[in-house]
Amino acid sequence: MLKLGNVEFRSRLILGTGKFSDTETMLKAIEASGTELVTVALRRFNREKPGDDLCAPLAKLKNVRLMPNTSGAMNAKEAVRAAQLGRELSGSPFVKVEIHPNPHHLMPDAIETWLAAKELAADGFIVLPYIPADPVLAKKLEDVGCAAVMPLGAAIGSGGGLSMAEMIRLIIRDSNIPVIVDAGLRAPSEAARAMEMGCDAVLVNSAIAAAKDPVAMARAFALGVETGYAARQAGLMPKSDVAVATSPLTSFLKQDGSV
Amino acid sequence: MFLAVNGEKVEHRGDGTVLSLLAELGTTPEHTAVTVNGDLVFSKDWKNFKFNDGDTVEVLTFVGGG
Repeated sequence: MLKLGNVEFRSRLILGTGKFSDTETMLKAIEASGTELVTVALRRFNREKPGDDLCAPLAKLKNVRLMPNTSGAMNAKEAVRAAQLGRELSGSPFVKVEIHPNPHHLMPDAIETWLAAKELAADGFIVLPYIPADPVLAKKLEDVGCAAVMPLGAAIGSGGGLSMAEMIRLIIRDSNIPVIVDAGLRAPSEAARAMEMGCDAVLVNSAIAAAKDPVAMARAFALGVETGYAARQAGLMPKSDVAVATSPLTSFLKQDGSV
Repeated sequence: MFLAVNGEKVEHRGDGTVLSLLAELGTTPEHTAVTVNGDLVFSKDWKNFKFNDGDTVEVLTFVGGG
């Protein structure tokens, strides 16, 4: 079981709810993925588009918890305020801290993220920060009480895959809290690889929402995560630089009888 | 009274409470979070909290996000 704070999850796939063409597809994708935790964002209520409000449709889902994010926050102060609003609205203790002031690359601000995470963890939130794949920062976030760390695989929405694999490996090696790859994944095979490497879960949004068939892709990611995790539990064979024969190399086919 | 609601000047004709404004806006109150002049107003206080003329109000809800 994946344990985040004091809550246990059977599914190791977390879904983002952005970018879906319509709410119905999003709900079906959530169901197909088997996820028990989805992210949502806070925005101003729009009288012209009351259908954008996800509270009612998400409330229909059973066994799915909400994790409000702090998107739009440019610094720790704004992120803390967004988190408090998200908790008030969702009633959920989970928060995805994301602070990325540069819209060009959306790379997380490590310093402001640490400041916000520290304050929110002290305030009782179950804090999951979206971070650069930095093992030193990851450890410092663990020290201030984060429930997990979420290093990026590649830039948000880029489909760049596990470009940070080596750094994520270092984070996993030293971490005593769950490590969740968040952002950048494009294919279920990358989710499988992340799980094989030792990640505890993956968070996927664009790869599912922007797929030709989001519902089928949600199912494919669920299988990818499950496969990778099962493979890790099974224990991968050791690697060898040279061939190691799988059949006996006997000499009975030689004509001259030599051994 | 006039309020600045989500960046727009709005004439509030209700009783000056948060609940009254939310009804005017056509929101589902339990699907919104509200700040007044930057401070969170908890839903348990919406019946009693009274606006002052010129208050800056943010009415927020959840949308899709990653």
